[in-house]
Amino acid sequence: MMEKCQFCGKPATVHMTQVINNKTTVIRMCNECAAKHGLFDKEGLPFAMLSSLGEALFSGMKQNLPANGLICSKCGCTPMSFKETGRLGCPNCYKDLKLLIDGIIESSQKGMIHKGKYSRGRSAESAVNVADGLPNVFPKRHAKKLSMEERLEELQEMLNAAIKAEQYEEAAKLRDEIKTLKGLS
Amino acid sequence: MNDFGKKLFQDSKLAKETIPVVVSSRIRLARNLADFKFVKYACRGDLHAVSEKCEKVLSSYPILANNTVFNMCDLLDYEKLSLVERHLCSQEFIMETNESKLFFTDDHLTSIMINEEDHLRMQVFRSDLNFKAMFDKINAIDDHVSENLNIAFDRRYGFLTACPTNVGTGMRASVMLHLPALVITKQIGNLIMAVQKLGFVVRGLFGEGSEAQGSFFQISNQQTLGLSEIDILSRLTQIIKSIIDYELNAREIVKKERIIWLYDNIGRALGILRGCYCLTSIDAMNCISLMMLATDLGYLPNILRGDLNQVMMKIQNSHMQVLENRTLNANECDVKRAEILREFFAAVPNLKFD
Ligand SMILES: [Zn+2]
Ligand SMILES: [Zn+2]
Repeated sequence: MMEKCQFCGKPATVHMTQVINNKTTVIRMCNECAAKHGLFDKEGLPFAMLSSLGEALFSGMKQNLPANGLICSKCGCTPMSFKETGRLGCPNCYKDLKLLIDGIIESSQKGMIHKGKYSRGRSAESAVNVADGLPNVFPKRHAKKLSMEERLEELQEMLNAAIKAEQYEEAAKLRDEIKTLKGLS
Repeated sequence: MNDFGKKLFQDSKLAKETIPVVVSSRIRLARNLADFKFVKYACRGDLHAVSEKCEKVLSSYPILANNTVFNMCDLLDYEKLSLVERHLCSQEFIMETNESKLFFTDDHLTSIMINEEDHLRMQVFRSDLNFKAMFDKINAIDDHVSENLNIAFDRRYGFLTACPTNVGTGMRASVMLHLPALVITKQIGNLIMAVQKLGFVVRGLFGEGSEAQGSFFQISNQQTLGLSEIDILSRLTQIIKSIIDYELNAREIVKKERIIWLYDNIGRALGILRGCYCLTSIDAMNCISLMMLATDLGYLPNILRGDLNQVMMKIQNSHMQVLENRTLNANECDVKRAEILREFFAAVPNLKFD
């Protein structure tokens, strides 16, 4: 059986595979569309994937999360609109749709807490681990000792807040994070 | 050639200095302004305001000042697509171009998209694997941006992005690799699976069956949260270095066990490139891929390798339309492509097999 091009319906000769979270998606294209959409680096996802991205992420998260009543107070984004577009509406969504987002993050990311650079050039590395792979290193001001202490203080604050709000799962994660950081210094 | 063509075809440093196996590397950072909705949800007025603010800050950064800025809505379709072919912007970026702007430097090694899916998508390129140099460069631009704009950042989630798959570092690092011997020896499937298990994404083009087209594969990090930039870059570097070793080993095996087959395929490919009058993009990519292998193996002068990168760019559909200054249909593209290749390979010396 001849597969059809997803863009124009002509016979497909090019199959592009993409793997997100161990789920393989195959995009089928004819030669012409393949040439048009380029052999190269698509910077993120090939655009045929975009509509199904929300769906894919959604299916990866726990189904029983009570995420359905959520709505962002700043932009009106809901779990449904995220499912349709695969995109959040505004920075505040990370607060108001936290339940939804944490589910997605848990199933697609390495950890729940940012370990990288801080905004406004305050510090780049909380987990300073330059030993292997890359030669020493990124700009000095980003590897300041201070940043590690700052980061620990902040995590401690976040931990206290979590305990106060009785978010014990979150508190456990933060505690792990603090332990890891202390182990590194 | 018109002004757009001149900007597009100005000597890309990317293609000039090359190492075997690695075609190009890239780091991209996604950033958003804290006080605006993300692009998909923002109104036209907001997008305009975002664009103005970003442009002002970016054009005050030394390497970006006095460089090219395009209002994307002013460009023709094939002009937009040619920028995608050159990796200066993404496919998604050119779909909705109302308030989108593209900055790029004359050397084509830095480009910044305003109002892609995130307000800012900043990227740097190199032709080798020097992620340290790339990160220093993009990080300095990012510092400038975050000192002058109110960037959406959260202590827990890091940099906030329109899609939670980019949150945290907002960083995507990728390497385009040329892996013909792993394809020939059919090891590529296992390799792709192994790389994916390590949390990295592999994209490639496959023809009917499992025959790869051009043998080009892009490998990038999937995860952006819970890892530092250095973690991500050093893990990617390690993975790429071992893939390069596998590929170089596979080339030795092909040379040992299938030398006649190899000579035959390379020889025929050069014959096609010198004699074609109508050549599809996919056939052309496969032939050029073999010519790259031939230069790496010393059958053609090494100096050609950079030129091959450039000619590969030049025969992409939209590049040829920019060159011709008009739209071409598929058949016209195949004819024009053959013309460019015939001319280029007529000047290439004959193969020197060991
Ligand atoms: Zn098609
Ligand atoms: Zn929102």
